[in-house]
Amino acid sequence: MVSSTTQGLHGDDVDFESTWTTLASSFKEIHTKNASKLSYEELYRHAYRIVLKKKGEVLYGRVRDFEKEWLSQTVAASIQGLVTGSLRSGAHGSAAVTTANERREAGWRFLKGLKEAWQDHQLCMSMLADVLMYMDRVYCTDHRRPSIFITAMNLFRDCILLSKSSSEADSLTILAILNGIILDQIQMERDGDIIDKHLIKSCVYMLEGLYEADQEVEEQRLYVTSFETDFLNASREFYRKEGEFLLRESDAGAYCRHTQRRITEEQDRCRSTLSETTTPKIEQVVEDELVRNKLRELIEMESGVRHMIDNDRSADLRLMYILNSKVDPLKKELTSAIQQRIKEMGAEINAAAIAASQAQPAPAADAEGDKPKAPGDRALSQQTVAALKWVEDVLNLKDKYDSFWKFSFDSDQGMQKAISSSFTDFINSATFTRSSEYISLFIDENMKKGIKGKTETEVDQVLEKAIILLQYVQDKDMFERYYKKHLCRRLLMNKSLSNDVEKQMISRMKVEQGNNFTLKLEAMFKDMTISEELTTGFKGHVAKLGDADAARAELAINVLTSMTWPLETMGSSGDNEESRKMRCIFPPAIERIKKSFEKYYSDKHSGRQLTWLANMGSADLRATFPKVQTKEGIKERKHELNVSTYAMVILLLFNDIPASQSITFEEIQAKTNIPTSDLVRNLQSLAVAPKTRILIKEPMSKDVKPTDRFSFNEGFSGKFHKIKVGVVTAGNKVETDKERQSTEEKNNESRGFCIDAAVVRIMKQRKELTHQQLVTETLSQLATQFKPDINMIKKKIESLIEREYLERIDEAKVPSYRYLA
Amino acid sequence: MAQQSTDYVTLVSSDGFEFKLQRSAATVSGAIKRMLDPISNFTEAQTNTCTFENINGVVLEKVCEYLYYNEKHKNNKDVPDMDIPPELCLELLMAADFLDGESCTAVCLISNADTGLV
Repeated sequence: MVSSTTQGLHGDDVDFESTWTTLASSFKEIHTKNASKLSYEELYRHAYRIVLKKKGEVLYGRVRDFEKEWLSQTVAASIQGLVTGSLRSGAHGSAAVTTANERREAGWRFLKGLKEAWQDHQLCMSMLADVLMYMDRVYCTDHRRPSIFITAMNLFRDCILLSKSSSEADSLTILAILNGIILDQIQMERDGDIIDKHLIKSCVYMLEGLYEADQEVEEQRLYVTSFETDFLNASREFYRKEGEFLLRESDAGAYCRHTQRRITEEQDRCRSTLSETTTPKIEQVVEDELVRNKLRELIEMESGVRHMIDNDRSADLRLMYILNSKVDPLKKELTSAIQQRIKEMGAEINAAAIAASQAQPAPAADAEGDKPKAPGDRALSQQTVAALKWVEDVLNLKDKYDSFWKFSFDSDQGMQKAISSSFTDFINSATFTRSSEYISLFIDENMKKGIKGKTETEVDQVLEKAIILLQYVQDKDMFERYYKKHLCRRLLMNKSLSNDVEKQMISRMKVEQGNNFTLKLEAMFKDMTISEELTTGFKGHVAKLGDADAARAELAINVLTSMTWPLETMGSSGDNEESRKMRCIFPPAIERIKKSFEKYYSDKHSGRQLTWLANMGSADLRATFPKVQTKEGIKERKHELNVSTYAMVILLLFNDIPASQSITFEEIQAKTNIPTSDLVRNLQSLAVAPKTRILIKEPMSKDVKPTDRFSFNEGFSGKFHKIKVGVVTAGNKVETDKERQSTEEKNNESRGFCIDAAVVRIMKQRKELTHQQLVTETLSQLATQFKPDINMIKKKIESLIEREYLERIDEAKVPSYRYLA
Repeated sequence: MAQQSTDYVTLVSSDGFEFKLQRSAATVSGAIKRMLDPISNFTEAQTNTCTFENINGVVLEKVCEYLYYNEKHKNNKDVPDMDIPPELCLELLMAADFLDGESCTAVCLISNADTGLV
């Protein structure tokens, strides 16, 4: 020993070589785990002295060389000893030579050996660094050298990890083998084996602690540069193959579940075996390979989205949704698959409705052929059923997708929009134009029968459903037209079950569609109220006149504003013109009341003209039939007949003639002036229908011909006191094609006015606009009411130019218009 | 031979003086701390005794005094100056450097500045 106790802190010359020899032999002791024999103080003092004598540089170099020699001779040899043939081939990927078990064992031994070598190295180096603390503190800091510990760690990288695994020139580095083994082990785990996660984790720690170069840059960690890349590539390959296999071999639901499991597995693996920093990257890989690249195939699989929807597999759909949202926040693929399915199903419903409406009535129905129904009527009711079925089907479909939306799609906003737009698409599809009518019909049916005996909440639901459907309809004006028509019938014929519900419906529509939409509907209700008042008022008026005549007929009147009520649709089909020209001739008793009411009304409201619509009214008659021998004896039979106004007029004719006498069809028509078709229908119900055969027709047949003769049926008998003579009318029915045509024509007409108004409104405000802008603005203005036809807009613009509301701007580059005040 | 880490450790000077002091106080010095580190397990760690071949009793006593002074005042502000005899300053400074006690070195430097030595 050079140092002497008398030298104190500032010792004299130090013999470097002999001091180093002492240190080196002590270092060897440390490496062989014999440190307990050594005195720290002594070693520290030696190093201290050397550095104090400015020999730090030499010492640093010596220590580095010492470590290099130690690592590359002692440690490297022991590591190389662990590299067996099976590992080398395993790392090459040709696993065929050895069994998985052998490979796992050999791999385990290698990892364990490497881990121990690394841990020993770390421990020894930290002891060395402690002893050389003074060198680190003074020499390394002053000369900006990395601390001896870091240098030694880098030596481990260079001398062990980057060294060849055997003496052969082309052999792999230890690092490559290590990577290969870890990948191999991970693959074993993916295949269901159990591996030593802690061991791998330790090796990963080692890779994370070492850097590619001597600078410690986070991205240059060996883990990132060497292992992670290999790992991601291998995983990508594995999952690509697995994805292909699964697509071939299993169904979509299982695929989704499997993928979900794989993702969780990889997350766990990163946590327990690898590094957390890899988690997002491997997730990305799995998502890429199992989801993004396979999504389309997956959705289109036989057991894909379509199958899931059809079989209500909401759990599977939910998985599908989760997977899709992982790779695409907009979920385009799934959304479009869903949309397509909705359209398909919608088209099926539409097709079914069309088919049902065109189908001939089943032959069984002909058995009850004596019912007073023309074949056309039956076709109509067939259509009505089709309409109701259509609405039910659409609502069911909507319910189905709503529940998917809720349970499987996390109530996703974009998804909801997509579903809605698909519903809109098929409900308004060009091949199916009856949706407005069908929806209105559905409401009509419910108002008349459906809500009977239902609780308030159930009624609410029905209304809600109707409103939902209404939201999808683009041609709102069409719907309004139909609704008005149906409402009109309900109101005038007192068929509506509850006025409250009607009003609720209107107020709901008001919320949805705005004031404009319900204005006329509300006006209809107002007319009804006013009419009630008028009726009572008139009754009072008549009573006051003191003309109390028991035989006098009572009058209940509905005064309807002709603009608000779709009266033309109330008439019988086809011959509206005729009915308008022909005024029905009332019997004198009725005519008197009519006159008196007209007077009463014009006293109240001057300047208004009343037009009597006999085809819409009804009348109660008290009829007395002559005494006939019955089981209970001879007795006069009285019946109260509820008939249409026309039927009343017809029946009253027979009051004036002897019972035995008969009149011809032509005579009746001449006396009453009832339009032919109405007359035919009324006579049919009075003389042909078996239960209400009050008149006798000659010859007896189903059809009514102009040459037929009619006489009063004295022998008529009915089971009940009150008898309702149903007129064969198209009540709650889908329109015939002819009606539809006329409805559409009328609709187009009113649309024309709307477009006119919109164009003028826009131009008045903007003064000048290009054609394109004008069309766009018009479209957007009218969007809430209906979807206008572009050609129609063009035509309307033309006609406005003709009428000199607009003019073309000749000098403009693009076609433009100017507003003419 | 292997001994448990104790609460007290012994520091021995080159001329044989022994100072027993609390481990927590002594390990303020980086060198002493590493010396006694049970993980490295050098002889000092086993015997809980550090012998300093290059520090005499007078200096080591002052070092110990400082270690306790530091332990006592480590969380306080406005602490009274430690009394350092000028003749010990240089040796103390070197001891502080050797023992890797940064705060100790600073205290010595201040004292030296007071006495005009540095």
